[in-house]
Amino acid sequence: MHYIILSIFFPVLFGVFLLVRKEMEHRKNLLIAVSIAFIISALLTILALCLSGNGMFTLFNLAGRLPVLFKIDEISIIFASMTLIIYICAGVYSFVYMKHEEKEKRYYGFYLIVLGILIALCFAGNLITFYFFYELLTISSVPLVMHNRSREAIMAGLKYLFYSLCGAYMVLFGLYFVERYGNTLTFSAGGVISASAAAEHGEILLVLAMLMLIGFGVKAGMFPMHAWLPTAHPVAPAPASAVLSAVIVKAGVLAIVRVIYYIYGVSFLRGTWVQTAFMVLSLTTVFMGSMLAYREPVLKKRLAYSTVSQLSYILFGLAVMDAGSVAGGLLHVLSHGFIKAALFLCAGAVIYMTGKTRVDQLKGIGKEMPFIMWCFTIASLGLIGIPPTGGFLSKWYLAEGALSSGICGFSWIGPVVLLISALLTAGYLLPVVIQGFFPGEDYDYGALQKKEPPLFMTIPVLILTVLSVLIGLFPEWLLNYLSQIIEKII
Amino acid sequence: MGANLFTNYGEAVAIILFGIGFGNLLLQSNLIKKIIGLNIMDTAIYLFLAEKGYISGRVAPIIVDGVQDMEKYINPIPSGLVLTGIVVSVSVSALMLSITIRLYRRYQTLDLDEISLRLKKEGL
Amino acid sequence: MDFVQNFPAVSILICLFAGIISSGLRGRAARYINTVLILTVIFLSFCTLGYVLDTGEAYVYVMGKFPAPWGNEIRAGVLEAFMALFFSIIMLFSMWGGIKKLGDEVEDGKVFLYYVLNDLLLSSLLALVYTNDLFTAYVFVEINTIAACGLIMIRQNGRTIEAAARYMIMSLLGSGLLLMGICMLYDLTGHLLMSNIRGQVEILFASGNYRIPLLVTIALMSVGLAIKSALFPFHAWLPDAYGYSTVSSAAILSSLVSKGYIFLLIKIIYRVIGFDIFYNSRIINILFVFGLMGMIFGSLSAIKENDVRRMIAFSSVAQIGYIYMGIGMGTQAGMAASVFHVLSHAATKSLLFIAAIGLTDVSGGSRQFIELTGAAYRNKWAGVAFTVGSLSMVGVPLFSGFISKLLFAQAAVQNNVKMLPALIVLGISTVLNAIYFMKTVIRIYTPVEERSYEGVKFGDMKLYVVTLVGFIVLNIFLGVSSQPIVDLIGQGLAMFS
Repeated sequence: MHYIILSIFFPVLFGVFLLVRKEMEHRKNLLIAVSIAFIISALLTILALCLSGNGMFTLFNLAGRLPVLFKIDEISIIFASMTLIIYICAGVYSFVYMKHEEKEKRYYGFYLIVLGILIALCFAGNLITFYFFYELLTISSVPLVMHNRSREAIMAGLKYLFYSLCGAYMVLFGLYFVERYGNTLTFSAGGVISASAAAEHGEILLVLAMLMLIGFGVKAGMFPMHAWLPTAHPVAPAPASAVLSAVIVKAGVLAIVRVIYYIYGVSFLRGTWVQTAFMVLSLTTVFMGSMLAYREPVLKKRLAYSTVSQLSYILFGLAVMDAGSVAGGLLHVLSHGFIKAALFLCAGAVIYMTGKTRVDQLKGIGKEMPFIMWCFTIASLGLIGIPPTGGFLSKWYLAEGALSSGICGFSWIGPVVLLISALLTAGYLLPVVIQGFFPGEDYDYGALQKKEPPLFMTIPVLILTVLSVLIGLFPEWLLNYLSQIIEKII
Repeated sequence: MGANLFTNYGEAVAIILFGIGFGNLLLQSNLIKKIIGLNIMDTAIYLFLAEKGYISGRVAPIIVDGVQDMEKYINPIPSGLVLTGIVVSVSVSALMLSITIRLYRRYQTLDLDEISLRLKKEGL
Repeated sequence: MDFVQNFPAVSILICLFAGIISSGLRGRAARYINTVLILTVIFLSFCTLGYVLDTGEAYVYVMGKFPAPWGNEIRAGVLEAFMALFFSIIMLFSMWGGIKKLGDEVEDGKVFLYYVLNDLLLSSLLALVYTNDLFTAYVFVEINTIAACGLIMIRQNGRTIEAAARYMIMSLLGSGLLLMGICMLYDLTGHLLMSNIRGQVEILFASGNYRIPLLVTIALMSVGLAIKSALFPFHAWLPDAYGYSTVSSAAILSSLVSKGYIFLLIKIIYRVIGFDIFYNSRIINILFVFGLMGMIFGSLSAIKENDVRRMIAFSSVAQIGYIYMGIGMGTQAGMAASVFHVLSHAATKSLLFIAAIGLTDVSGGSRQFIELTGAAYRNKWAGVAFTVGSLSMVGVPLFSGFISKLLFAQAAVQNNVKMLPALIVLGISTVLNAIYFMKTVIRIYTPVEERSYEGVKFGDMKLYVVTLVGFIVLNIFLGVSSQPIVDLIGQGLAMFS
């Protein structure tokens, strides 16, 4: 049990320690300290995951007998391990990348604090605890967005803050009612809404479910509250964007998993207008995100729009509430996490070595940085969904689940939209690759220089890319594990 | 209703006076008139109390000639309250007057609205 | 009778005596006496709290030699003792936080007066908290007003005198209504002691006579106290009074003086009128509606404000709206939420005022937003403290503001009619709060290119930092271990009836 607390509080306290200590201005000290912190947090989290079993741990009581409690279940394990892997890769990457940014101490301080809070979100055992850390996540990740303090970054941070606070309030609104009508606020597979309350207050509970989904959807960049994401993610330093796009937005996904499957329960929501509305919203977002990404000239922004679109794949899978689609959604959580982190880190490497940000400047970049661009290519193929990558597998399951769900209309509209969006994905990612490797006739090979970044940058990218492929190559174990979860919650 | 008003005319007068005083304190912009309003308001309350405490045909609760019979005296508590209240209202009026003097010395006017306007112009 | 039972009366009396003695002393000695006094009151209140928690029931302490229906009484229960303790702690921190500023802003020969007024204010607050007699309550309300007016005026400039005049006028209107209400209630029931009045009111209400006078009485007293505690739309005096007086005064006025009146109102609701009768009158809806309006308009004015002190002052209007909304909800839970918000707002608002003064001092004394750019780097502690206060006001978990919002919403859900307006306004006001507080936080953390003003070092402001840390700890304490406090409030409210 203690490992849960330690794995949450160690990174947070260490982050605060970094922020306040003067010695840490010295770069070498800082990097050593951060590496040690990563190793210890990883160990603590792994210990917590392995040793804690299914027990619950109450930290203290908030008002009105609302306990802050932690519990580890299968969903926690998936999200926590993904968080940890991506976090450490991006962290190691920033050892080099952050050299050209100022105020590294502050960056690492908040980076670690956010890690602790993310772990806490994964381990949160009830809705109030989740909400508690969800708000803290917003507040503590704002400094990462605003890291370079330009006017643009500050405005982006503010936008992020307001969208998130509005969303969080919508959630809080629903939380009060769930507390009143539910048996408990503790996450339990199959939902906590009592049958009598569901019969009596069905309509209002549905309205609130919708509010909560939209509210948490803010973090997952779902239409109509997605506008902050393409503004906020690209202005952060590249490793921070990677973490924001790959991990922090997944907090929204985790929240929606918890709300649908652990608070309201499938039996309550299936077949209601909430499900329909949620599917419509997520499909709209899938399509719109891809379209916007297709038209976006700045690479990091393009990736951010792609995040908007890809996250809604997951949300669509969750909304369909069919065993296959949920498996696809959860699988896509992992594959999108690894892929998007890899893509952002590649974009960051390009910026770090060449300073180029726009797609049309990237002609011939594959000749200059072949290794990075190969990783970029493989990750792009994964995101488009070409076998044998993880992306293919998750999209396959998503589409299959939608088809077999038999929901009138959506069982075929869903797969069609997903397919169109996959084509658009190819449309916005492949040109980068093609231009990069085949710059065309007028490219000046004479000025070509090898600009491969240092090992500290390439190895994290490599690890993430390999992981995204491995999911597709050896999925049996993972699928078995997922089907165990799905059996419980559906 | 009308009959009640007639028998309790003292209270009715007190309430009307209270209203006048309250209105003056709230609406007048001249500070001195405000203070006069304040005093009317307070006095009206004391009138109300005194009226309520008075029982016709009885005398003030001061023991003279060794008469101990409770039936001879009016209720003493309202009188006590009035005394306390007067002390309070005197001190409050004094404070208000001193503030008025200070404001007059600074701005040469007793009009509170004008003072506010001047303050805004000063931009302090 | 246990020895501890004397403590409430003793704490009121020593405050009065300290005030009298200090009026013959010089500034330094008066300051010393004031600090010792507040520490003593904290100790005494703590003992009282321990005592009533131990015995589990409130006790009545007879002042003078006359027994119940005639004499004067003090009553100490859990909530009273806790409030006294809390108020005196806030008072101590507010004084410490503003001590340096006080030296700059007040003429040397007048500093002792500040402490005299402060002692009197504390005594009247304690008396308001403890008294069991309505007329005594009125007298101390007036003493409170006079002392508060002195606190505003101690820094002499046109603005403060004008603010003091406006404050006095509004307060006098309020106390006139309160006094009228008390007199009519006395007239109806023949008593001045709260417990006796309550018995008579219940009989009256059951008999069905004098419904309208009773209603008028309730209205007069509630409106009177609402005016005095600056409920919207009676807040016109507030921004000037809080914005231009010396910082300790602003902190004390916003977090203690107005809260004293609110606590008196809560006492009147429970101990004089009775919760059910109050609930059945329609006054409660008026309080509710004005509370909601205050929440929105206060925040809107705060957004428009370009001066950081006045902005915080306007935010007080909004927060007082929250409290009245809770009272107007008409449920026990709503009342408990209001009491909790009294605590949380007291802890947060004084923190904000004191942190803001640290920030303006390192910005050339200007309070305009543009000058505050980067102030948090020049005074790090004030920056952190301001951020904590802002987050608490916005209602971020971990800080006290979150718990009060949670409690308000929980209370709102229990009332089917008022649920929707309450929750919607709560939401709007949360967002508005976020807008102006976050705007300020971002502003103070935006770096400036050329270092225009000098920063301050820790060595120059030890006491100030101690104060800030004390406030932050208090805030987090309320936000994290709220359960015991909520229980305590529930227990205290139960003891009221």
